[in-house]
Amino acid sequence: MLLEAKNVSKAFGSFLAVSGADLTVDEGEIIGLIGPNGAGKSTFFNCLAGDTLPTTGRVVFDGKDVTRASPEAHARAGIGRTFQVPATFEDMTVLENVMVGAFLRHPHRNDARDHARRIVELTGLRPDQSGRSLGTPGRKRLGIAQVLATEPRLLLLDESLAGLTPTEVQEAIALVRRVHQTGVTIVIVEHIMDVIMTLTKRVLVFNQGHVIASGTPEQVVRQDAVIEAYLGRAHRRPPPGSPPQAGAS
Amino acid sequence: MKSSFPPYLRIVLLAAALLAFPLVFTGAFYRDIGVTFLLAAISASAWNIVGGYAGQVSVGHSMFFGVGAYAPLLLYTLFGWPPIAGIPLGIAIAIALAIVIGMPTFRLTGHYFSMATIAVAELIRIFVGTWDFVGAAIGLQGPARARGWWDLTFRSELPYYYIFLAVLGIVLATTAFIERRRFGFYLRAVKASERAARSLGVSVRRTKLQALALSAAFTSVAGSLYAAKTGFIDPDSGFGILVSVQMLIVAALGGAGMLFGPLLGAAILIPLQTATNTWFGGGGSGLTYILYGGIIVLIARFEPGGLLELWHRIRPRWSRRAHAA
Repeated sequence: MLLEAKNVSKAFGSFLAVSGADLTVDEGEIIGLIGPNGAGKSTFFNCLAGDTLPTTGRVVFDGKDVTRASPEAHARAGIGRTFQVPATFEDMTVLENVMVGAFLRHPHRNDARDHARRIVELTGLRPDQSGRSLGTPGRKRLGIAQVLATEPRLLLLDESLAGLTPTEVQEAIALVRRVHQTGVTIVIVEHIMDVIMTLTKRVLVFNQGHVIASGTPEQVVRQDAVIEAYLGRAHRRPPPGSPPQAGAS
Repeated sequence: MKSSFPPYLRIVLLAAALLAFPLVFTGAFYRDIGVTFLLAAISASAWNIVGGYAGQVSVGHSMFFGVGAYAPLLLYTLFGWPPIAGIPLGIAIAIALAIVIGMPTFRLTGHYFSMATIAVAELIRIFVGTWDFVGAAIGLQGPARARGWWDLTFRSELPYYYIFLAVLGIVLATTAFIERRRFGFYLRAVKASERAARSLGVSVRRTKLQALALSAAFTSVAGSLYAAKTGFIDPDSGFGILVSVQMLIVAALGGAGMLFGPLLGAAILIPLQTATNTWFGGGGSGLTYILYGGIIVLIARFEPGGLLELWHRIRPRWSRRAHAA
């Protein structure tokens, strides 16, 4: 077991954003966290990444308690994360952006540059492009490249594909697959149902702070609670240019 | 796009020009401007490490400058030691001060950090101004007549000029060294986004503290050089807010976060300042504030990146036009 979150809750004042969520992740898995807006999945995600201190519960990574560890300590331990809105460094080139991540395990400049070059190649970016000139898809890709350069064992992807066109989503899915094949375990928060269906073997469904279902995407999609909370609406929405379709299963 | 000069040749030319300046302009007036320019460039380059590269805009760097200025003259006053012996003491106190001040103030970001640094520097200035041990409001005197070169007391401007130039070279070389290494990357990452930097394993607090300590050490040396040159120091010329503001403006005018930004800023601002002081006499000190204020407004409104960035932006257009012609 690579990561175990036990009974994680987070309260903001009297509002319970996450309530008693459990999650175990085995090495080599891809797990999806889904749920409607405000369901608590992002808060839970931030608890895993060390950005938010949970009110109760424990997060254990590779046998070590990381509940109270700082974000940088998470990175050092081997938990990498991306941001919904990619926080890339505008004044740096793509390669320099990735080098910041690479320096974590390669303190010397030449090693860091070589390592960053390999990652940039894997993600299909141009190393000399400036961070400022990248569009949304490029930034999301760069965000993934930066965190990959820290050589995480567990990669937490926070809506890395939101806001992309269907073609870009397909490219991004291919990238996540490539990353997974290099041996990185992945937890992905995502709105786009297609992404979760194609990428993950196991999903957790959040609603109003609770985990209301878990299982394979196919199993979860059939559960009434899930359809009611989230998928019912999402799946009834017709794809553009086709007649409306009913039902989720 | 490519300039016809390779970068190292430009640096060699710049160094040659700076070395030759006092030999070409032999008048005391010009040499004095040269020395003042170098001192401003040293302190602004020191400020640039934390204020420019790491983006932590300190408006309290006079505390380090003042420590550096007082340390040599205090050792001279107390024990008759040569001022040069006070330079390492100044560095040590400045680094200790940077850590003590940095720990709490780096909990703040942006304007709040800047305001906190003003407050601390002003507190120190007021405290020093009432502390008899360091001469209170009158300040301290250096040796009137040199007992040897180590007293750093010279009749001519020339030794000062070359000592200052050597120190400037050390500060810039150090900055260039860290710019290309992990520390330099981390500074720029912290400036761009602390949250993103932390997620990539950067210890933001430690990076900022290291930057402040290094910056404080160099700023303290600038203060020591100032004290050696002028031969006396008082609370206002050591710890006054104008000292901090000058570093900030010189760096921002030329280009904060760029190696040669402070040098360019000093090359423009110091002659301008000397000119206004000369034309308007002793009543010109108020004019310095007006000049600084005007420059802050212009930089903030039109060119936050400073003149070097403006140059980098317009140069490609010029060379395209030159090629088209």
